[in-house]
Amino acid sequence: MEDEENRGSQRESSSAMKELEPRIFVVDDDQSVRTSLANLFATEDYAVEIFASADEYLARLPPPGPSCLVLDVQLPGLDGLALQRQLTEEGKVEQIVFITGHGDIPMGIRAMKRGAVDFLPKPFRDDELLSAVALALARSAENLRQRGEVVESRARLAKLTPREFEVFRLIIAGLLNKEIGAELEVSLRTIKTHRGRVMQKIGVVSVAELVRLAQKAGVAPASHGTK
Amino acid sequence: MNWVTIIWAMIASACLTLALVHVLVWWHRPEARANLLFALMATATAVFAGCELWMMRAETPIAFGTAVRWGHVPIWVLFVSLVGFVRLYLRAGRSWLAWTACGLRTLSLILDFVFNPNLNYREITALRDVSFLGERVVVADGIPNSWMLIGQLSLLLLVIFVADAAISVWQRGDRRQALSVGGSIVFFVVAGTVQTMLIFWGIIHTPITASVFFMAIVAAMGYELSQDVFRAARLSDDLRDSEERMNLAAEAANLGMWVWDVVRDEVWMTEKGRALLGFAQNTRLDASALISRVHPEDREARAGAIKHAIETQGEYSTEYRVLLPDGRLRWIGARGHCIHVGDPKGIRLLGVSIDVTAQKQAEAQTRQHREEIAHLSRVAIMGEMAGSLAHELNQPLTAIVNNASAGRRFIAKGRADLPKLDSLFEAVVSDGRRGGEIIRGIRGMMRKGEEVRRPVNLNDVIGGVLGFVRSDALERHCALVAEPDPELPLVEADLVQIQQVLLNLVVNAFEAMREMPPATRRVIIRSERESHALVRVSVRDFGTGLPVEERRIFDRFFSTKREGMGMGLAIARSIIVAHSGELAAANAPDGGACVHFLLPVIAEGNGG
Repeated sequence: MEDEENRGSQRESSSAMKELEPRIFVVDDDQSVRTSLANLFATEDYAVEIFASADEYLARLPPPGPSCLVLDVQLPGLDGLALQRQLTEEGKVEQIVFITGHGDIPMGIRAMKRGAVDFLPKPFRDDELLSAVALALARSAENLRQRGEVVESRARLAKLTPREFEVFRLIIAGLLNKEIGAELEVSLRTIKTHRGRVMQKIGVVSVAELVRLAQKAGVAPASHGTK
Repeated sequence: MNWVTIIWAMIASACLTLALVHVLVWWHRPEARANLLFALMATATAVFAGCELWMMRAETPIAFGTAVRWGHVPIWVLFVSLVGFVRLYLRAGRSWLAWTACGLRTLSLILDFVFNPNLNYREITALRDVSFLGERVVVADGIPNSWMLIGQLSLLLLVIFVADAAISVWQRGDRRQALSVGGSIVFFVVAGTVQTMLIFWGIIHTPITASVFFMAIVAAMGYELSQDVFRAARLSDDLRDSEERMNLAAEAANLGMWVWDVVRDEVWMTEKGRALLGFAQNTRLDASALISRVHPEDREARAGAIKHAIETQGEYSTEYRVLLPDGRLRWIGARGHCIHVGDPKGIRLLGVSIDVTAQKQAEAQTRQHREEIAHLSRVAIMGEMAGSLAHELNQPLTAIVNNASAGRRFIAKGRADLPKLDSLFEAVVSDGRRGGEIIRGIRGMMRKGEEVRRPVNLNDVIGGVLGFVRSDALERHCALVAEPDPELPLVEADLVQIQQVLLNLVVNAFEAMREMPPATRRVIIRSERESHALVRVSVRDFGTGLPVEERRIFDRFFSTKREGMGMGLAIARSIIVAHSGELAAANAPDGGACVHFLLPVIAEGNGG
């Protein structure tokens, strides 16, 4: 049942990102394991790219759409866990499903703590892997979506003048117009004018919407005095 | 009776006795033809002595003439046998001289019977009494026959022939023989000839006493021949002594001695030798009797060794099992060589055999111990590697599960086309095989069994070991490089044991680099031809190098590993030594250690 739900959600997200198809990267040094994974993912019509080593993977083009990395732990040269660490350090967020022929629990815990989606010992069930991959892709899509909202909301906020932005931060801090006026030591009328411009420029009609936008854009409410 | 009769009778009987003795010698040893010729000479001398007596006692000139005529017959015999004796006994003399002298002598014998009364006289006119040794004997007066010069010429040639032969014998180094045989012949022939010439040409008037001179020659030659007899007797004494000594030594060393006359197929064997093979003392032995005792599995190898010895006329060396009549098994080691005796067909194989059963048992026990220890160590090392071996096996299993799952999913979705399924199945089959091979390799290493030597390509051994350690190397972050020589000749070896040795060296190399930064961890396995007779396999690491003098690392219980038992290298060395090879280690000039072993190449053309 869980599987069905996951698949459902996967379909949903793929429809949401219609123009950007999800992509799976496989890194395993064993050729027959690599191709067998590609065969398995082909049953779900995923786009798959396979690599024999971490270095090959790092040399790929970054994907525009949601993606997930199916990563073998034991690799020649840079191994799976080291690759995960390196990606994190470089600030590249990648949804990773680890597969290993010789893994132990501490190793799995370490990988999960660093944000891995799953840690599967070989050989694994097909639905285990596919659901882990679906989850990873969903997270990736969600990330992308969130990142898109941030960009958009920040663009909207960028239209404001510094004074208007100051007023905006005081509004979302929950202050009334007269309190804002007192804070900024201007007349109530002036504040009303600023407020109208802010709402107009951002294109919202309620304070609640302003608050949500601020959250998306990562703007904190202004701290204010208790005058 | 008077002195002349007594002396001449004694000369005759002495000569006849000598003749008899040497005829008997020849009778028993037909190859001793010199003895036969000597007997002929002695007999002729005796007969001639009779003729002389006949002359001295002649009543009429006619009787005297007849006696002279018949005297030429023993002289001819004596002459020819003397020439033959010199040729045979001294192995010298020019043959054209010999033939010419004998021809002239034969001519003079013919002329002797052509002329009347004989070769020496045209006519005997009278007999006259002379005193000789206090006796009255007759001598002849007559007209000498000039044809007797031919006879005298033949005697001259005889002297030249003998003198020439004696000189070459002298130069050869047999000075005593040259003097006693050659010298005496020359001296007494000259003396006898001069005396008879003077008598027949009527210059002196004494009876002919040539038989005395001839007897001197016979005596000289008889003495020489008897020296041979003494020498032979001494040799046979020496031979008996040395034979006894050899028997004693052979008995003490438990050696059985044997001679096999290949052509006549007769085997002579000492008591000990018979006992070794379980034969009774008096049975007749031949090749097939011996073969019947040899273990059927060893017959071919033994026959090959015999054939080799006969063909090369060289050494014979083999070991085989003998099935004794009481059912016991005995290991025999045999050494010998092939010789030619007498005529070219007389081939003999002679040698010694010894019971090597105890030695063989000890060897077998040693081998068994080595095999057991090697097996334990193999199991231990495979146990240490169990995790990475499981990983190695996991890869094809994972691929199989994935591909089979993919197939089922395609079917479930109704998107299964046959080419797609076929390629999935193909992958499943090949991964299944790969898994089977890994298991076979592991089972081979875990197997406990007798060692099996067969021609092995050491590159295959390297390939097998790479299969075992690939995962281990990954886990240890160690690069693994194989540099096999594609032209590598084969060696005769137990594959599993050599694989074990190499595995051991590679795992040791991993261990040596435990403390090194991962980027520098590298192991190079290389095979190459060391010389025309040796192959080298080396394992090079870039670790800390050998911490102690090279020798100690091969000691049992010496280990540089933290949890090592220190058996690995000692066992590896004992395996390599049992393969007639060599295991050695050295620090590499640019850091790390290089351990290598050498194994002998299978000799070409020695396949059987």
